[in-house]
Amino acid sequence: MRNILTITLNDLRVFFADMGNVAGLVVLPVVLTLILGIATGGGGDNTVRLRVDFLDLDNTPESAQVLESLRNTNASLYFCPVDDGEETNCRLEDDETLTLELAQQRVRDGISEALIVIPAGYAEKLQTFEPVAIDYYSLADAVSGDIVLTALDAAVLEVNGAIVAAQVGVQIGDNFDPESDTPIFEDDATRAEFSQKVYDRATTYLAQQPLTIQYVVNQEVVENEISAATAGFGQSVPGQGSTFVMFTVMGGLFILIRERKQATLQRLVIMPITRAEILAGKALTYFTLGMIQYMIVFIVGVFSGMDFGDAPFAIFLTMVAFVVCIAALTFALATRISTEGQANGVSLLLSMTLAPLGGAWWPIEITPPIMQTIAQISPVYWAMSGFKEVIFYQGTLTDVLVPVGVLLAAAVVLFWIGVRGFKYG
Amino acid sequence: MQYMVEASGLVKTYKRPDGTEIEAVKGISLNIQKGEIFSLLGPNGAGKTTTISMISGLIKPSKGDAKIGGYSITKEAIAAKRLMGVVPQEIALYPELSARRNLEFFGQLYGLNGKELGKRVDEVLEFIDLSDRQKDRVDTFSGGMKRRVNIGVGLLHRPQLVYMDEPTVGIDPQSRRRILDTVFKLRDEYNMTVLYTTHLMEEAQELSNRVAIIDHGQIIALGTQGELTQQVGEEDRLLFKVGTQTIADALLKNVETTVESVTRALYDAPSQTTDNGGETIPGMITVFAKRGRKALPHVIRVLNEADIEISSVEVREPDLEAVFLHLTGRALRD
Repeated sequence: MRNILTITLNDLRVFFADMGNVAGLVVLPVVLTLILGIATGGGGDNTVRLRVDFLDLDNTPESAQVLESLRNTNASLYFCPVDDGEETNCRLEDDETLTLELAQQRVRDGISEALIVIPAGYAEKLQTFEPVAIDYYSLADAVSGDIVLTALDAAVLEVNGAIVAAQVGVQIGDNFDPESDTPIFEDDATRAEFSQKVYDRATTYLAQQPLTIQYVVNQEVVENEISAATAGFGQSVPGQGSTFVMFTVMGGLFILIRERKQATLQRLVIMPITRAEILAGKALTYFTLGMIQYMIVFIVGVFSGMDFGDAPFAIFLTMVAFVVCIAALTFALATRISTEGQANGVSLLLSMTLAPLGGAWWPIEITPPIMQTIAQISPVYWAMSGFKEVIFYQGTLTDVLVPVGVLLAAAVVLFWIGVRGFKYG
Repeated sequence: MQYMVEASGLVKTYKRPDGTEIEAVKGISLNIQKGEIFSLLGPNGAGKTTTISMISGLIKPSKGDAKIGGYSITKEAIAAKRLMGVVPQEIALYPELSARRNLEFFGQLYGLNGKELGKRVDEVLEFIDLSDRQKDRVDTFSGGMKRRVNIGVGLLHRPQLVYMDEPTVGIDPQSRRRILDTVFKLRDEYNMTVLYTTHLMEEAQELSNRVAIIDHGQIIALGTQGELTQQVGEEDRLLFKVGTQTIADALLKNVETTVESVTRALYDAPSQTTDNGGETIPGMITVFAKRGRKALPHVIRVLNEADIEISSVEVREPDLEAVFLHLTGRALRD
């Protein structure tokens, strides 16, 4: 272990002896994170909130109940115009009324994430058990992930459950005589028969879905504004952090090739230490540089008042898994790269493609579904998934286990390739 | 007798990109006694560095093994490496760090630390005469100074055996002289064994107790300088530089048959060196004669008659260059 640490400390000393490296590690990532964070809605609102237009054309307690259910389902949603305030800006002019046409245009313009319309007569239809539909407008594809729709689904399920229970109850009540001393059920067989009837009816009514969502995709996009909900420092800090971790750790490829060229790597081999210690020392160097890089960018998030969620260890674990994966990728590439020019080219190419592809530069949710599928080949996608689970959706350690597992599995394979084919000279 | 180095049947085979194999070292065996300076002499590409790389544990032999102080370099690598200090041909240092930092880092990997490390680093800095520049970055040093630090790293842990792979390549004569004196000092004052590779006959001749001449991956001669020169007899060599003129075989035959005491005449055509910007090496006629100085005017006469313009003449008594020429038919040069 002593030899490993000696090699790592020396590598770090060499790295920090070059002021260009220090600038690349600190100045550029901090500046870019700040610019992107502020430009995309950053500020101190560390919990990302989704702006959703809610048009209540019924104005009844029942329609208000839908809004309440939506709030309970997802606290990160805020509804316009009812929630218009300083922290939850609906972006409506003082004298502006939210009409159906305006709300539809706002969705098309990307000002609001979605529009939910409670139709007039909603409560009445519920009471008479007539079918009724809530209109839902969104730019998102119906089959892709849409957290507003998920929330609405949950709210509708809640309302449907209540309707079914009410309907069944009403039908039982119709045949129930409270004045009679006779028990409702004469014997166990009657009780069982009744139980079966309720079950069958509830099943039938649930299948009929008294309340449904009518999904309307806004095809005519006028201008797609990045939603504040998925932007700001919540996006730029983990995104730029991951991007610059790739630059920094894969920059190790250049250092490795230079060590081969200046024969210091060969000199290490003829020292009384094992080759495993040399590789571990190098790997620890890349890991340390990657973690330093993440820390620098995340400190920007701390000073910007960003909320990192309630599971800091889950964030740390995601960072570790991503850095290990990129360090392993660097080792794997080193088996094929033989010149400093190739090293620079490959590390730049991979960083500049895998980072945006994986959703480091913009929210992956705004890309087409096919891109979201392709993005999964990028380690950045998995790192961002882990970060978002915690930062955006208040996830816990359990929620990042899948992305962390994917990154570590990739790391094992890449390390295996890298160590097997490692060239010392 | 216990040897410091015992190499037996070392073979190194590489695969070419087309899948065929090339044998860079073809079964080298040699023993190096404790406290001697042993040189591996041969032209560039002869297999010297590959041999020393196998003995130092940098590369694994395809066949064979080497023992350092009784430890196998393939099976007991760490124990063997503790006994040796290696001075590679390249300046294997971190240019961004100071001379002292470089020495401290490698010293730590040799197992030194604390006060002991500081003391050894001071000693080495004094030995290589760089105490006053110890805090300067290596990339601010001259070529000769870098070479000295490169040597110093190999001496930090007071090894019993020091490998030096062409340590005087690309440096000025003054620095070269300093390095050669260092090699003597290591043997005479510190009782170290030195394995030295060079393609310069003068260095091997000046330094070595024993020399192994290596060519095409094989040792073609091994012994003291006296033993080796005996192989070519008492012949002197007459060297005629003839520029870029073409020399016919018939002329060489004429020299051999008409001049008394001449036994052989060879011609090396002009060539381009790969270093120093591709300098042209003039063509050279080498004439072997039992009494060189007496044969000299006669050889000049024959060459004049053939209208050969001679730019310089040199008479050399038997040396390692002659041995190489005698054994391979080629001059010991690039």
